[in-house]
Amino acid sequence: MGNQKLKVLLGATALAAVAGHSTAGEFDGITLQAKLIGGQQYEALYARIAEWEAATGAKVEVISKKNHFELDKEFKSDLAAGTLGWCVGSNHSSFASQYPNLYTDLTPYLSADFIAEYVPANIAASKIGDALVMLPRAQFDVSALYYLKSVYADADNQAAYKAKTGRDLAPPDTWEEYKEQAIFFTDAPNFYGTQYAGKDEAIVGRYYEMVIAEGGQLFNDDWSPAFNSDAGKRALSWFVDLYQAGAVPPGTTSYLWDDLGQGFASGTIALNLDWPGWAGFFNGEDSSKAAGDVGVIVQPQGSAGIRTGWSGHHGFSVTEACDNKEAAASLVAWLTNEDSQKLESAAGPLPTRTAVWEHVVASAEGDAYRSEVLKAFQAAASHAFPAPQTPYWIEATNLIYPELQAAILGDKSIDDALADAAEAVDEMMQENGVY
Amino acid sequence: MSRFRPPAWFVLLLPAIIILAAVVLIPLILSFYSSFTPYKLTRPETLYKWIGTFNYEKAMKSVHFWSAFGRTVLLLTVALNLEMLLGLGLALLVNKVTYGQRALRTIMMFPMMFSPVLVGFQFKFIFNDNVGLVNNALQSLGLTDRAIPWLVDGQLAFFSIVVAEMWSSTAVFAILILAGLFAVPRDPIEAAKVDGCTPWQSFRHITLPYVMPFIYIALAIRSLDVARAYDIVQIMTNGGPARRTELLWTLIGRTGYVDAKMGYANAMGYISIFLAIIFTVYFFRKLNAARSELGMAG
Repeated sequence: MGNQKLKVLLGATALAAVAGHSTAGEFDGITLQAKLIGGQQYEALYARIAEWEAATGAKVEVISKKNHFELDKEFKSDLAAGTLGWCVGSNHSSFASQYPNLYTDLTPYLSADFIAEYVPANIAASKIGDALVMLPRAQFDVSALYYLKSVYADADNQAAYKAKTGRDLAPPDTWEEYKEQAIFFTDAPNFYGTQYAGKDEAIVGRYYEMVIAEGGQLFNDDWSPAFNSDAGKRALSWFVDLYQAGAVPPGTTSYLWDDLGQGFASGTIALNLDWPGWAGFFNGEDSSKAAGDVGVIVQPQGSAGIRTGWSGHHGFSVTEACDNKEAAASLVAWLTNEDSQKLESAAGPLPTRTAVWEHVVASAEGDAYRSEVLKAFQAAASHAFPAPQTPYWIEATNLIYPELQAAILGDKSIDDALADAAEAVDEMMQENGVY
Repeated sequence: MSRFRPPAWFVLLLPAIIILAAVVLIPLILSFYSSFTPYKLTRPETLYKWIGTFNYEKAMKSVHFWSAFGRTVLLLTVALNLEMLLGLGLALLVNKVTYGQRALRTIMMFPMMFSPVLVGFQFKFIFNDNVGLVNNALQSLGLTDRAIPWLVDGQLAFFSIVVAEMWSSTAVFAILILAGLFAVPRDPIEAAKVDGCTPWQSFRHITLPYVMPFIYIALAIRSLDVARAYDIVQIMTNGGPARRTELLWTLIGRTGYVDAKMGYANAMGYISIFLAIIFTVYFFRKLNAARSELGMAG
């Protein structure tokens, strides 16, 4: 009887906690250690931790604050050294699958209704197998198409494009059209049609979404490489053609996100597939020469009629080794609840809860640019899919990207580059005992 | 029964032995052992699986590893020689200065005070094809009308890395050679002057032999540095594009920390150590030869 009572009590406490309305003093005396992603843009949310502490009586001790790449190394060191005494960690959908045993399944600590309040695609991307290893915060990333409105409004451009292609000049809806327009707009070295991330995970991610848009897959169901296919070759030729035509800056193979952002903001790039976090920067008078000239639409589609949509989101996880998983789950739920997401998304990042999406779209009314951005990214989000959920994703990208670069720079043919990349990935997967 | 009493020398050395074992020996043994395992940072249990020389065989058969090895040797050779020549020139010039030499010496050491990571970022910007200083200068001066891909073209990227290495470390040579120049006795130079030697002859036959030991010490120190070159290259090109600037430690660093394959990375590391050992032995032999030429051997 007593036991039954305790169970009911515990259940009620957990439910109250996950709804973000924690019961006073329910976690009195508990201290949770946390390793969180650091950066000015995240501090506003962390200020809410004090409210959770006051509400529950628990204490949070942030023992590490670093960017995700540094945190990733730290988590790997922790796994290697067995120093897993901490409870809450920042996570990212592109990294999560690398540490399948580090984080616990949050499902037992949350109600189904609470989980249903998140955008289903984001929840799906937060799982490894059936285990919900993180709760997504309002830091969701998917790329939409930014473009300079002036190049489309230019009468000479319109006439020349019409004469050349027989079509009216408008922002592209297919990647083929995008390529054609990028080559058309280029006036090197002063103005380029487009640019793309050229190394590391970044270029493989872009290639991955292009393969999907072309109707292919990066991996088969058994995780053997599937990109050495017609769709894979078509996807790679998009990158190669643009480079060989000189429609991208010659240094694009060494560009990462910051270089791309600065490039578009310099007003010398016509078309730019990029993340939502740049929207304010691109249109800021102080930060961008393109300010006032930026248009945003949903990302184009490939020949298979599928739009690109490689996405990622930040989240919070609870370690398997944590002694106070309930308290930790309550903190994680608090940091991603409706109020927290409203706070974070007010500064620009995209939310991962349905109600918060509605809230941000409504609150942008009257601001034409912000409304355009949100509409574009809401559409973009509906086509989103996560990075392949394998612990060997990053390792695979390190094998694939030098081969993509070799094809782009003309060191290898597309066929040879993809054959070599597929062979290397196949060997790596086998070595890791995947199949 | 008498208690075991260790000899006094052993007791006195014990703290040093313990510290050396803790900071040098144990990590060395552990990393050497792990090179015979498929150790992955994310899967600690793999540390206990013995796979023999698999990692070494894989590295020995890897084209990427040997091209990185070759490229590192090339960088070592080119960068060290150029740094040595520039450092020597710089030291000779500064040695001639009679007023403000101290200030000049301090200024000369500025690049050494920069973190290599910062140097990498600085030169990455300078050589950026779109917004970089070099291309903008060349285009403004009308020397070219295209964006030169400094960090993309294999040879240009290698050149850019050499420039960054030289900028940050020529001062090492200059300072050490300058110290050597201070130690050159005046008498033989003046005697040579009286005997009618040209400035080149007195430099070649008197000054240079005196500074040679200093040059070899600088070469030995810098060869170890360049053989471990990582930070600047990692920032400027990350070994790319298409592995065109891949050096040993960018490859090993990525394998160990990004791919988390520590066992394989350690195996490659141990093979690479031979490179450092070979260069160090070579320069120390040269150093001894130079010293014995001056009658300083022993």
